[in-house]
Amino acid sequence: MQKQNRSSLSKIWKHRYLYLMILPGFLTVLVFCYFPMYGILIAFKNYNAVQGVWGSPWVGLKYFKSFLHDPMAFSVLKNTLLLGLYTLLWSFPAPIILALLFNELKSKRFKRIVQTVSYFPHFISIVIVAGLIQMYVSRDGFINDIVIFFGGEPVSFLLDPKWFRTIFISSGIWQGVGFGAIIYLAAMSGIDTTLYDVAEVDGAGRWKKVLHVTWPSIRPTTVILLIFAMGGILGTDFQKVILLYNPATYSVSDVIGSYVYRQGILGAQYSYTTAIGLFMSVISFIILYISNLVSRKVSETSLF
Amino acid sequence: MRKATLGSRTFDAINILIMLFILVVVLYPILNIIATSFSSSRFVSMGSVTLWPQGFNLRAYEGIFKDHFIYTGYLNSILYALASTFIMLLFTSLFAYPLTVPGFAGKKFLTIFLMITMFFSGGMIPTYLLIRNLHMLDTLWVMIIPGAVGAYNVFLFRTFFMNIPSELKDAAHIDGANEVGVLFRIILPLSKPLLATFALFGIVGSWNSWFEALIYLQSQDKYPLQMILRNYLFTLDTNAIQGRVGAGNVAVNAPGTTLDPKSVRMAVIVITMFPIMIIYPFFQKYFTQGMFVGSIKG
Repeated sequence: MQKQNRSSLSKIWKHRYLYLMILPGFLTVLVFCYFPMYGILIAFKNYNAVQGVWGSPWVGLKYFKSFLHDPMAFSVLKNTLLLGLYTLLWSFPAPIILALLFNELKSKRFKRIVQTVSYFPHFISIVIVAGLIQMYVSRDGFINDIVIFFGGEPVSFLLDPKWFRTIFISSGIWQGVGFGAIIYLAAMSGIDTTLYDVAEVDGAGRWKKVLHVTWPSIRPTTVILLIFAMGGILGTDFQKVILLYNPATYSVSDVIGSYVYRQGILGAQYSYTTAIGLFMSVISFIILYISNLVSRKVSETSLF
Repeated sequence: MRKATLGSRTFDAINILIMLFILVVVLYPILNIIATSFSSSRFVSMGSVTLWPQGFNLRAYEGIFKDHFIYTGYLNSILYALASTFIMLLFTSLFAYPLTVPGFAGKKFLTIFLMITMFFSGGMIPTYLLIRNLHMLDTLWVMIIPGAVGAYNVFLFRTFFMNIPSELKDAAHIDGANEVGVLFRIILPLSKPLLATFALFGIVGSWNSWFEALIYLQSQDKYPLQMILRNYLFTLDTNAIQGRVGAGNVAVNAPGTTLDPKSVRMAVIVITMFPIMIIYPFFQKYFTQGMFVGSIKG
């Protein structure tokens, strides 16, 4: 026993430099990832800065109950869920379709040019994208020029709740579709090209080849990304919401992230907003878990 | 090769039209921003500027460079991007290498320790309170340290390091190098493509981030460029912009000499986008391969 102890200690001593190397990263993760997890405790406490996370008095589920009684809660939950669902519906298939279209292009050079251009918006900051949206949809902007050209009345798009989701999601596709296609194109590049020749000999047309050769090659990737997308359905890009929304559109645009930002960071209701955040994380995790379970049963592909 | 059917050729034609549409939809706004920033106010307010500057002039740029916060924003953004990327590469390499050493005790614990952070996090408010309690609010450090080590990056680095032939490490050990020496003299020089890819991703990510600055910074002179841009685009009105860029003194009646706030805003967008446009051609070569570094099994 003692001998074993000494040998494992000597192993640790031998690897002392390795532990020192780990240390900076370990401390960074411990402090900036684990300490906030411990800080979630304040969702069950009446947090005040003087007493700190540990010292503040327990209040049980008080803040979860008050969230359910908050008149804004229903609207915020609904907006988050609908924005997530519509994003999933439109933004998830878009890169798959784009990748399939890229794959059908005959000229490799043209394909490369369009691909390179299509990635670019991904690297533009969200502030610039929101600024562009604001400029193009304003009353004297490009979109209204088109509306007027066709004899319509100019619309204040960003002040009109009807248009918020359309603007949010279409600009999201503009920014993400090219970059999103990369991963599917990578999966397609692994296809053995003789499969296409074999399919052609069997009399398959182009559509049949897509269906029986190309699609099966990207199906596992699609399933994995779909599970992630399901898990992220409540994780709307609230940074973009914060840049684009205003009180006139709160009825559709205010989501969990933006509400937590307003009430928490600006309004200093720390315990309350931590409770909201925790509530959403738990639901997100349950959705992720269920999607994973369904996927394992149906398609035999799963994350964990 | 069979002769293409009519349906197949129609599809090709439509597909090419879709691709041309994508080119226009992506390139038009970008070229329009640049053109507007160089155009004179007469054409900008008429809305006639499309892809090429009309009434070419540099007044918008002369104007924004009178704003002190454009300089501080630029310098801060450069500082935050370089420092946070350097720390990220250093800490991530240091964390990933020991995980590849055979017989290193604690590998399993550290892997789980990192993996948990991929699925759980404290969220916005507990993180904010932590930063506040550490007295990091409104300091440079909050823009550099908190996001330095991501589990995903460590795992990608580990996989890459594992693929380096162990004979090279053994040879270095025989020559008397310790583990730190092996990492810095053998592993990292052989990992240049990996480091280049992540450096570019790190720099672009930091350059484009603004929300951390919004919640953690208060003094305007610590703001990164994205926050200055946000103010120009969303919070400053026409008068405030003209005050900022010193256009108030310009004779308002002389046609073509006033500064349209739209040109000013577009000029700030252009200088914010400029570094990304410069590194994009280099970057673009790396990132497709970089994304899949981790999928190569060791």
